[in-house]
Amino acid sequence: MDAIATHKLNSEEIFALLKQFITEVIGEEFVEDMDISKESSFTRDLEMDSIEIVSFSEKVKSHFGEHVDFTGWLSGMDLDQLINLKLGDIIKYIEQCQ
Amino acid sequence: MPVIKINHTSVHVQEMNKGAKETILLIHGMFSNLSVYYFNIAPILAKQFHVVMYDLKSHGMSGKEKNGYDLNSLTDDLLALMETLELKAVHLVGYSFGGLVALRMASRFPGRVKKLAVIEAPDPGENERLGIMDMYSKEFLIDYINNFTDTTKFRMGKRQLEKNHRMYEYLFNETSIKSDLSKERGFFSGKEIGYIKQDTLLLYGKDSDCVPSGQTLYDRLTRSKIALLNGDHNLPLQQPEETAIRLKDFFEGWQSKFRQINNKIWQGLRL
Repeated sequence: MDAIATHKLNSEEIFALLKQFITEVIGEEFVEDMDISKESSFTRDLEMDSIEIVSFSEKVKSHFGEHVDFTGWLSGMDLDQLINLKLGDIIKYIEQCQ
Repeated sequence: MPVIKINHTSVHVQEMNKGAKETILLIHGMFSNLSVYYFNIAPILAKQFHVVMYDLKSHGMSGKEKNGYDLNSLTDDLLALMETLELKAVHLVGYSFGGLVALRMASRFPGRVKKLAVIEAPDPGENERLGIMDMYSKEFLIDYINNFTDTTKFRMGKRQLEKNHRMYEYLFNETSIKSDLSKERGFFSGKEIGYIKQDTLLLYGKDSDCVPSGQTLYDRLTRSKIALLNGDHNLPLQQPEETAIRLKDFFEGWQSKFRQINNKIWQGLRL
């Protein structure tokens, strides 16, 4: 269980944290071959499937607590938005919520 | 990640709105996982209800199991989950093969199921569906994915292809799934379906080849109603909001109608 964040993270810190979550979800051996950037999209570039995104969401929720309603935010998106969602979009959303 | 141990097996469970009075329990389909509900359908239902989703054995993030894919074993698993979560009775939703689990649950443990919603459940007596397992190959998977992509917009990369292929290979070659499912062929034609007395909502896609199965259930379930929505067998992915609203209205029942009438009366009084 990750600790709930108590201090405000900047964009780069959030990016590093999200990269760590992605590594935990899909495994280090796959991440090594990937060039993860803020422009990376979840489904196309990172090849994450829906259950991996569930796992990722739970990690975000667990780290940031109720301040970041990540699942609620995703649930407001249609299929096209979800497919095209980039890491940078999530960083912006978390920054706004903090 | 909430993974709990039930009868020595790891079960991946997700819950939303835990404090709500009534619970809706969602069962996913074969070769799928709880994510079919997690992003869109569950959050809508969770505005009013406590929502529970879980991954079936060897699916999603639950542990692998070699045996117990027949409907009795899977409903035993579900009952054990309800006991662990201290849920006495729930509204039950099952999609595709999960719909068969939901139907069997309603017939075996009627006191544990309040209302029942079945989405796109196929008739297990149709030989074609079980035949797919015998025909399975990686080429078949690629072909299937291309078709799936057409109707759901999801694309699968190399890593996902390998991951899915490993799951199918495991299920088809190392578990009892084929023989367990072949035992269920007579489910829709047997007496058992007629014993189900719960109010039942049947949701099917207009373009789905499962519509005749829905019609069979509608004819045999005494307290059922059927709705055909735009889409095919992938209905929860194609129409998540519409699916969730239909489910919510059905489970809210008279409370929802009462609220609508009440609103109209108040609007009338204001005029």
